[in-house]
Amino acid sequence: MKDEKEKWARVRIVIIGTIFGLMFLTVVGRVFYLQILKHEDLVKKADRQHQHRVELTPARGSILDRNGTPLAESIHMDSCYAEPKNIKDADGTAAILAPILGVPKQELVAKFSSNKAFTWLERWMPPYTALRIKNMKLPGIGFVPESKRFYPNIETAAHVIGFTGRDPNGLEGIELRYDSTILGNTGYMITERDALGRNISIMNTVFKDSSPGKNIVLTLDKTIQFIAEKELAKAVTESNAKNGMALVMESDTGKVLAMANYPTFNPNSYSHYSLAQLRNRVVADSFEPGSTFKVFTIASALDAGVIKESDVYNCENGNYRIADRTIHDDHPHSRLSISEIIKYSSNIGSAKIGFKMGEERLSRYLRNFGFGTRTGIDLPGESSGYMKRNWYGIDLATISFGQGVSLSTMQLVTAVSAIANGGTLMKPYLVERILDDGGNEVQHFEPQALRRVISPETARKVSKMMETVTGEGGTGTKAAVDGYRVAGKTGTAQKVDPVTHTYSPSKRIGSFVGFVPADNPKLTIAVIIDEPQGVKYGGVVAAPAFKGIAQNTLAYLKIAPNMPTTKTPKPVESKNAPAADPETDSDDTIDDSTNDGAVMPNFRGMSMRGVMQVMEKRGINIRLIGSGRATEQNPPPGHAIKGTGAVWIKFTPSA
Amino acid sequence: MLMIDRRLLTNFDLILAGLVIVVCLLGIMNIYSATTPYKVIGTAYYIKQLYWMLAGITISMLVCSVDYHILEDLSYWFYGFLILLLLAVLLFGRSSMGAKRWLNLGLFNIQPSELMKIVIIITFARFFNNFHSVGGLTIRDVLFPLGILALPAALIMKQPDLGTAVLVILIATSMTFYIGLRWTTIVSFVCVTIPVIWLGWAHFLRPYQKNRVLDFLNPERSRLGSGYHIIQSKIAVGSGGIAGKGFIKGTQSQLRFLPEQHTDFAFSVFAEEWGFVGCLLLIAIYMSLVLWGLNIARRCNDRFGGLLAVGVTSMLFWHIVINMGMVIGLFPVVGVPLPFFSYGGTSMITSMVGIGLLQNVSMRRFMF
Repeated sequence: MKDEKEKWARVRIVIIGTIFGLMFLTVVGRVFYLQILKHEDLVKKADRQHQHRVELTPARGSILDRNGTPLAESIHMDSCYAEPKNIKDADGTAAILAPILGVPKQELVAKFSSNKAFTWLERWMPPYTALRIKNMKLPGIGFVPESKRFYPNIETAAHVIGFTGRDPNGLEGIELRYDSTILGNTGYMITERDALGRNISIMNTVFKDSSPGKNIVLTLDKTIQFIAEKELAKAVTESNAKNGMALVMESDTGKVLAMANYPTFNPNSYSHYSLAQLRNRVVADSFEPGSTFKVFTIASALDAGVIKESDVYNCENGNYRIADRTIHDDHPHSRLSISEIIKYSSNIGSAKIGFKMGEERLSRYLRNFGFGTRTGIDLPGESSGYMKRNWYGIDLATISFGQGVSLSTMQLVTAVSAIANGGTLMKPYLVERILDDGGNEVQHFEPQALRRVISPETARKVSKMMETVTGEGGTGTKAAVDGYRVAGKTGTAQKVDPVTHTYSPSKRIGSFVGFVPADNPKLTIAVIIDEPQGVKYGGVVAAPAFKGIAQNTLAYLKIAPNMPTTKTPKPVESKNAPAADPETDSDDTIDDSTNDGAVMPNFRGMSMRGVMQVMEKRGINIRLIGSGRATEQNPPPGHAIKGTGAVWIKFTPSA
Repeated sequence: MLMIDRRLLTNFDLILAGLVIVVCLLGIMNIYSATTPYKVIGTAYYIKQLYWMLAGITISMLVCSVDYHILEDLSYWFYGFLILLLLAVLLFGRSSMGAKRWLNLGLFNIQPSELMKIVIIITFARFFNNFHSVGGLTIRDVLFPLGILALPAALIMKQPDLGTAVLVILIATSMTFYIGLRWTTIVSFVCVTIPVIWLGWAHFLRPYQKNRVLDFLNPERSRLGSGYHIIQSKIAVGSGGIAGKGFIKGTQSQLRFLPEQHTDFAFSVFAEEWGFVGCLLLIAIYMSLVLWGLNIARRCNDRFGGLLAVGVTSMLFWHIVINMGMVIGLFPVVGVPLPFFSYGGTSMITSMVGIGLLQNVSMRRFMF
């Protein structure tokens, strides 16, 4: 009996032990559930409770010119913050800091007594002020390094680089276009706070996730940029113009070497400028090109085989009536060769060539040159210009000489580069390389050919014709550079009044676009002067700046002159004499034939003084008739000289 | 002291003593971490806990040095004395946080409800030792022990100290189960208990006690009020993960998001810093201790000793399970400390007296 009871007592012990054991297992199961299954969820909850995250301004990569000179940099500056919960003496702390920060004391007291765990006092503090406050070791006042954008060259290339806002995203230019590349990851300062919301021990502060951005190496050259800006500034000021643009491009590759706007701005304090001053007009604005556009009309017609170099057009002595309108030439001529249409910038000649081309063919060529579509330059806000889809009535005529069509400086230079480089339209670009923060190359951009627009022959022929512009008697003689052959074209366009939509009687855009050296083009340069006062011709207001940019850049790039430099008081005429002959193949041909005494050079367009110099040099005796510029000659250029009596040059007074 | 002879020393239960000391030391280490963020004036908590542990060990040595059979005769005297003390608490007790639990005895304060846990074990052991029933206790059989239990439980409830009252009831219930109940007794008991609980809820529970139960049932009920403790504790335990955050590296404890983290929520701190691995270890030690206690009861040759061992073991067990269950959100927040682990002298002394009794029973198992 007793054994029986003992046995049952032991069984009940085992039952109790089992129940107790099961309850322990329940506890273990619950701990497993919390610590293993719900772990991540609860960790998040824990972090949310005890971590305080403050977003820090991420560092931006540098923007460098093609030689590695920094154009935009990020520097570290201290930002000062307060942790109100850690400030015991709000009043005293405010009294100390108010004069240093230049903030009313009451404002600080309010900040320090607030319920917030964290508040900025001053971001990007001047180093000396930061040091002063740091040395005071005030409880609840802390510092964190943050990046700040700095543009060391002040105004140089400001419109290209753009600028960044406080937040620190790029707002304009390369800063905007390559924002995601340049911008590093946003970092956080994570401070721990306790149950009362006090930030505790700076030792626990960690900086997370921040990483520097990538560096951008531009095709831009700071020196060339500087040259372009200086020459442009001079041109705009001298002509009392509203503003101006200049663009220098590598003719073969489409690399932008310089892009200038005047007036410019200081990106370190961009907020002081109006939006109009911040706009990069080179890409964002389009305008009616005027005469510079004739180059494309003639290039298209030559390439299409519609006209021949030797064709001569009747330029109607300056008045040509089409439908209900009359087209005028500033300098009336009766008969002009194709080359002379460019040289003297004849609207009538261009219009006639346009008619010969016809609407469909001309517009196809012009679109191939890139007009009416964006060039794809890596800058924001590019304008596509304006090309009518359907041309009515007189449109074909006016577009042929650059009216009723609009383009950006970027488009103009890209298209002229196609003529310069032998007929290939290159995609213009500004960013050459992207480097990581260690300086290792991440990406390299190669020149990109978009399409062939005209044949190399056509390009060479047009180039020759464009050389006459800077030659004796051309409209762009002021663009000629001593020692180099310069091809170019002037333009003087009426501005369209934005209110009345008619051509303004007084406002003009004077321009010059061209390339050097004409026989082996390296640089395509355009200078656009908006609303010059006084003399408004592109050949007067823009050509000298073109010359200045070309001359200095060629010297800087050590591109050797390939023509004899004369130091005589009249260098322009003497050196341009042979260049004025677009129908002969080259200077050498003339020289050779002169030595033989057999071939007549082309004197058309030259002044009497220039003709006499050539005569003297070559020992030819020519009868000179009239005065002004040479318009007719016998024998025609390239023909043999037979006897002296039949050799004459007729001069016509120029307007 | 004559009773300590060599035979007793050779039978000294080293496993019991070893397990208790390991838990005590883990507890001290954990209190060190849990009180690191505290600004302590004077002696640090972990040092004080070390003193309490030493005092506890001394008292438990004293308890085990006297043959436990003497308690059989003294039990009802103890019981009567404790009832008087509990009455005195209600009349002259020192109030703190809306409850009267302490009695000021001039030199020091005592908490009679805490001592009642031990005394109810002795009293029940005494009663069941002389009570013999065949085929389990009938309802009539349990009426007297129910009375013995109801008086102190009601007095403690009145203080109010819900946690201790529940523990006293659970200890007595466990011992009664050990003696054995008839099925009819169990069924009718359940039938009586449910309306009693309903009545108690409606008329006797204080609002804060009701809140705690409601918060337990739905912790989202009041995020920053009483539910806050459970939510914070669960976050601390769960964020510990498998391996824990490391010693003194628990964010929730070090940044003081945990309530009462060195006392009732000490396990929370431990779980956060030592993770699932640490919890398994600690629970394993506790479980070994409890099962070892039951083993002492099983191998004890006399009924009184067995009852004492079951009583003490169940006292430890219910403390452990209720505390851990509260920390991990299985039970409502009732102020029950984790024996040897939570900071506090009262809990340490009571638990150590219990261990002294267990040791007493364990080393005298061959005395008959």
